[in-house]
Amino acid sequence: MLSLLVNDESRSIDVPADMPLLWVLRDVIGLTGTKFGCGIAQCGACTVHVDGQPMRSCVLPVGSVGTRAITTIEAIGKTDSGQKIQQAWLDIDVVQCGYCQSGQIMSATALLKHTANPSDADIDAAMSGNICRCGTYPRIRAAIKQAATGKHEVPQTTLTSAPANAS
Amino acid sequence: MKRLLTVVVVLLIIGAAGYVLLNRSDSADGKAPVLAGVSASADILARGEYLTKAADCVACHTVPGSDKPYAGGLAFKLPFGTIYSTNITADPEHGIGTWTDDQFVRAVREGIRNDGQRIYPAFPYTSYTLLSRDDVLAIKAYLFSLAPIAQADKPNELGFPFNQRWAMGFWNAVFFKSQRFVADEKQSPEWNSGAYLATALGHCGECHTPRNLGFGLKHDQALAGESLQGWRAYNITSDKEHGIGAWSDSELASYLTSGHADGHASAAGPMGEVVEYSLQHLAEPDVAALVTYLRSVPAQKGKDPITVDPQPARALASSALLPGKRDGDVASSGEKLFAGACASCHQWNGNGQQTQHAGLLGNRGVNDAEAHNVTQIILKGIDMHVGDNHIYMPGFAATYSDTEIAELANYVVAQFGNKQGKVSPAEVAERRDQ
Repeated sequence: MLSLLVNDESRSIDVPADMPLLWVLRDVIGLTGTKFGCGIAQCGACTVHVDGQPMRSCVLPVGSVGTRAITTIEAIGKTDSGQKIQQAWLDIDVVQCGYCQSGQIMSATALLKHTANPSDADIDAAMSGNICRCGTYPRIRAAIKQAATGKHEVPQTTLTSAPANAS
Repeated sequence: MKRLLTVVVVLLIIGAAGYVLLNRSDSADGKAPVLAGVSASADILARGEYLTKAADCVACHTVPGSDKPYAGGLAFKLPFGTIYSTNITADPEHGIGTWTDDQFVRAVREGIRNDGQRIYPAFPYTSYTLLSRDDVLAIKAYLFSLAPIAQADKPNELGFPFNQRWAMGFWNAVFFKSQRFVADEKQSPEWNSGAYLATALGHCGECHTPRNLGFGLKHDQALAGESLQGWRAYNITSDKEHGIGAWSDSELASYLTSGHADGHASAAGPMGEVVEYSLQHLAEPDVAALVTYLRSVPAQKGKDPITVDPQPARALASSALLPGKRDGDVASSGEKLFAGACASCHQWNGNGQQTQHAGLLGNRGVNDAEAHNVTQIILKGIDMHVGDNHIYMPGFAATYSDTEIAELANYVVAQFGNKQGKVSPAEVAERRDQ
């Protein structure tokens, strides 16, 4: 039996220690907001927070989490940064198909918590590991800035520096 | 004329005598020191299994990912051609099922097959010659206890003169000495066990000891580091700056058994295989013995020494989530690639998450301006099982161009080793095939 702290709730689960955290979250606990994308930590769809740090849950063995606090998309809105990010996401209508968005929001929230007013370069560095097949990058960038400043942002489609994965 | 003939005949006789003398076999059975993992009273198959793992036979005699252990077929790309490992299962037609004890012992310790042909020293008989007869026969008993696999050997791809097996007799005359391990009475039993594990069984020197132009081992520079098949086998002498002299005993033991030592190294590539197939299976006292022996290997600077920067400025100026301020406004393409493909696990400060193996700081790989191992790992990734852990990193050979991989490797070396990376796209192209 493993004990996990997920979204402030203690959970006892009976799974092998090498099972990826993502499987535990989705298939054992039933929190399906976190998505499976590539399975090799290259797309970011499965991002959750472990003690506030964004981590790819698809390649994180559940046995290595220990007592650290796990936060998923289901509870990120309860944090100050998460609430701001989700509100900006709604205001700017970031989402298209939506599949990658829980991961995008988790990474963006971690960035905002780390850096109150991130520059374009900061956004590139922290968000490039989250891939969006619909290409919502301009809106993601605008929403992060809006969440940071509270000022309305217009998504800019001409970027000064595109994330590596978007090019 | 008659006098000239005499001279020629005399020279031939001297040459032949020298050849025979230099190729003579040590007739001793040899006596192995005590290993904690194999009590003398243990069943021969249990001893054989442990010794087979300690000698890491499976790594070369199995194609990775295949379900045919010991059936051979793994390619060794050498400067003079490609050699394939052979089937050492007990299959009577394709393997070694018909070999007698004496034939097997001669092959392992002298490099001569059952048909009298010479074996190329890609097979480390040069190290295994130190093994005791009992140990070799325990290995044979274990191999013969496994399911025979009917898989034909692949013919080697060697041009003339390298395809002349008899010529290896001359190579042996110069570079090979048939000799059994003899315990050094002045050293502790633990040291002797470690020496036997490192030299006779583990054959560390086959990769870690520099080779001369004739591909013979430079024994006076034992374990000072060498490059092979696109990888650097690092200096593992007791040198504090360029070897492993600054590592603690527990760090060394951790590296050998788990493939990772915090702040020093994470095994990948060929060394990852050694950890996966061999070292993680050693009994704890045997690992300690190995550490004791490695500690005693004379310090050497080695060829192309690598100096680890313990305080790489750019990594220290970065956080887990963001890089420190850079010189220019625009991110280099190496930095962009790192942001997209690497930062989520390795982090901008190189501490690494997901697995402790992702930590990059203090690693010789990221401190090598030629970024040999960094390039290999980016190209091929890591996929190894140690204990219950699956250590995995995807390879990017199919994803990124030579230029991109060169830029990424150079970025990694700058960010985490504080060195000016020197990898060119042409080198990446070469290393793809290594």
